[in-house]
Amino acid sequence: MHYPIGLLFDLLASSSALPWNITVHFKSFPEKDLLHCPSKDAIEAHFMSCVKEADALKHKSQVINEMQKKDHKQLWMGLQNDRFDQFWAINRKLMEYPAEENGFRYIPFRIYQTTTERPFIQKLFRPVAADGQLHTLGDLLKDVCPSAVAPEDGEKKNQVMIHGIEPMLETPLQWLSEHLSYPDNFLHISIIPQPTD
Amino acid sequence: MGTSPRLPSPMPVAPPVLGWATGSGAERSWLSFSMEEDEFFGEKTFQHCCAEFIRHSQQIGDGWEWRTLKDSSEGYMCKTHFQIKSETLMSHSGTSACVQTCLPIEEALELPLDDSEVTETTTGSQVIKYEYHVLYSCSYQVPVLYFRASFLDGRPLALKDIWEGIHECYKTRLLQEPWDAITQQEHPILGQPFFVLHPCKTDEFMTPVLKNSQKINRSVNYITSWLSVVGPVVGLNLPLSYARAASEDE
Repeated sequence: MHYPIGLLFDLLASSSALPWNITVHFKSFPEKDLLHCPSKDAIEAHFMSCVKEADALKHKSQVINEMQKKDHKQLWMGLQNDRFDQFWAINRKLMEYPAEENGFRYIPFRIYQTTTERPFIQKLFRPVAADGQLHTLGDLLKDVCPSAVAPEDGEKKNQVMIHGIEPMLETPLQWLSEHLSYPDNFLHISIIPQPTD
Repeated sequence: MGTSPRLPSPMPVAPPVLGWATGSGAERSWLSFSMEEDEFFGEKTFQHCCAEFIRHSQQIGDGWEWRTLKDSSEGYMCKTHFQIKSETLMSHSGTSACVQTCLPIEEALELPLDDSEVTETTTGSQVIKYEYHVLYSCSYQVPVLYFRASFLDGRPLALKDIWEGIHECYKTRLLQEPWDAITQQEHPILGQPFFVLHPCKTDEFMTPVLKNSQKINRSVNYITSWLSVVGPVVGLNLPLSYARAASEDE
């Protein structure tokens, strides 16, 4: 479904050893369940659509709208051609925020769990509390996905994973958004059952 | 910057701007919705507008209904309608014409059918199921239109087939930047592929509508106004009585 490959791995196969063996099908495309990938342009459009949505949350679309078409192109080309500096020359602007604020307006995130009906959870969530304190990853989970987090003294049932690692729940969400977002500027968070070994 | 004038950013205190709310009795509750949410068109306001819209839909049998998500206050509006498309090949004295019509052939062409001159072959009638869903985007704080079409056996229609049902006057704009205006995305609640009319421009065209309704002091249902603009682009038309209902709610 146009998900980043790292997210798919975390969500579906994190216990597998690398390299990840996958089966590619050439017949019976499940039209009702999956998006087609008709062209590179469609992927670019999807990517840019995510970047724009992330900026709508972070900056009310002001930063992305102030950029020229060539900047958008540079972002996509940097990603497509694996050019870190080219990508970040533009992306760093999407990671800035006004000096008087302590962070973005809202944090772009999506939480995925294979056990739920809906494909992901996405809600409005501010990185900074009214009193100026930075919200943490734990704060986010408690608010939007309380079943994912174990009670204080209970046993840990789930892993909260981003890019294959489990960040500490005390990590400020603003920092995660700036440093651990995917290229589309979203934090794609997987909640998977704690492995039982 | 070259962008069209925008309303000032969402106001923390709900002001008389919300005069466009439906009904004076409802206004007070609207103000309290927005004050809580610190948003111009928040989710509660969205749900309220949908409820009013559906109320009218029920009165005229237009088929819209509300679906809630299990264990949640979230929900969306949806409507399904069926349309018969028949494709017919006709030859008349050596010429042939391919006609796609929903009417009996005679009426559509206003030609007398004379068995000796005309042979017609019906290549098949098909029933197409159209589904329209109206969801709230918390990222853009506007409603978003999701849609898909399929044959009765479940085979989905591609975007290019759906485009045939779109009015000519919209086609030019959409063809220029097809991927910006309509994209295929995962439905955020059902998880299945739907076509989506991109919401990033919604604010731009709704703002003048709302500003004007304030100016002439006439109440307007955001959903009704918005859907009357975007719906026709994808073959969804709204009977005029919706607009009358919105302004009558006073």
